[in-house]
Amino acid sequence: MSSMSMSRSSMWNVDSRVIVYAAIGAALYGVLGLFSFLLPGTSNVTIRPAFALVTFFGYGFGPLVGLFVGFVGNAIIDQISGYGFLTYWNWSLANGLAGLVAGLASLYVGGMMTGAISRRALGGAIAGVVASIVGFLFVFSDIVVGGSDFNTVLTTGYVPVVIADAIASAILVPILVYAWEPLKESMGR
Amino acid sequence: MNIAPRYLGRGSWLARRDPRVLILVVVLFIITTIQAWDLRLVLVLLAIAGLYYRSAGIPFQSVKRNWRVALTLITIIVVVNSILTGDRVRGVADIHTYFAIPLLGTPVSAESLTYALTQWLRYVGMVTVGFPMAFCMAPTDLGTAFARLGVPEKFAFGLDLTFRFIPSLAVDYQQTIDAQRVRGFDPAGTGGVVNRLRQMIPVLTPLTVSAIAGAEDTIDAMDLRGFGTVRRTWLRALRFDRVDYLVLGGFALLFLAVTYAGIALGTGQIWVPPFMLPG
Repeated sequence: MSSMSMSRSSMWNVDSRVIVYAAIGAALYGVLGLFSFLLPGTSNVTIRPAFALVTFFGYGFGPLVGLFVGFVGNAIIDQISGYGFLTYWNWSLANGLAGLVAGLASLYVGGMMTGAISRRALGGAIAGVVASIVGFLFVFSDIVVGGSDFNTVLTTGYVPVVIADAIASAILVPILVYAWEPLKESMGR
Repeated sequence: MNIAPRYLGRGSWLARRDPRVLILVVVLFIITTIQAWDLRLVLVLLAIAGLYYRSAGIPFQSVKRNWRVALTLITIIVVVNSILTGDRVRGVADIHTYFAIPLLGTPVSAESLTYALTQWLRYVGMVTVGFPMAFCMAPTDLGTAFARLGVPEKFAFGLDLTFRFIPSLAVDYQQTIDAQRVRGFDPAGTGGVVNRLRQMIPVLTPLTVSAIAGAEDTIDAMDLRGFGTVRRTWLRALRFDRVDYLVLGGFALLFLAVTYAGIALGTGQIWVPPFMLPG
């Protein structure tokens, strides 16, 4: 039997493994995050499939890895796109918080993180959706940063991004879990 | 699509600054701009941002598309915000309404238009100061700069490592696309949401799994060199010179002045140009 869970104390350890997985995840998100497509039927809601990497790395490697992948990965996308690493710092932090929440999956879907791979994959999908809903609450900081109205942030920011990212996570995280878990076992991790 | 950071301002006056200056200026400018709602003050801040941007020597042709995307995004946010906010303009009790938007009924007033314009200019100012950090800073300097700014060294090292992984992952990405194309993969993608996400699987999955599996070599190398056992030093030496101190001092002074103006002169409230007031 394999498990995606880790002990509560090891969750917060920062060793070479955490650093490298976090850097790999952030670089992958930075490279693949540049590709997105418009949600059919909408004019400004884009789905970024690579967001699933944030919740997958959080779910599979812990909250610190998830936090780093989301925060640094999104900042790198902004950096490559030209906005600058810190200009939309609150959106990067929201991405990071989504990764952190996915990494804390053992607190709310702990029972699904052990046992058959199908259960772990389903746990990953649930963690991805929960992480999107909770993590992106931080985009309401746009009310302070940009002077936007609550309804504006809700309709142009929070709701579209949560829908898009929850869909991407629900579909892609289980597939990544299915691909990674057997390899992890064969590598003795 | 270019998936590597572009160092377009190489050799410019701003590129010769210590990279920490570019980071700190963004932070100082954002916390300064957040406090300003007086249109006159926001225009001053935008002019300062423009001068700062010019010193980066970024060729406009190379970033034209980036500007177009940024301005479109800002405009959408401001327009939607104006429509939804209506006449609930911060700190203004006396509203001068011009007309109501047909069907929606949202009132358009001198105050709401000023608010929208000010908000738009604030965002443009922030992006203007952000661009040099994207295009005028050597990507390899970012980790060192954050480490020297007091960010935990393991985080800074992770940042440095991330930028080192990007070129090799970009190559792996292209190779994966090419390999899947041979098998009939269409990177353009068609169909509904689920279908388009499923079409990403042949690229996303092998790229992710091989990157994670390949990370083992890096982890072993770091462990063998005793990573985390002693305090790290950085090969790239950073040192502020007199001009760096002047630039940082100037932006710090600007922050203090705008904070004072907000308290003493009320520049935290919107200011409507007299010509916009009817009658």
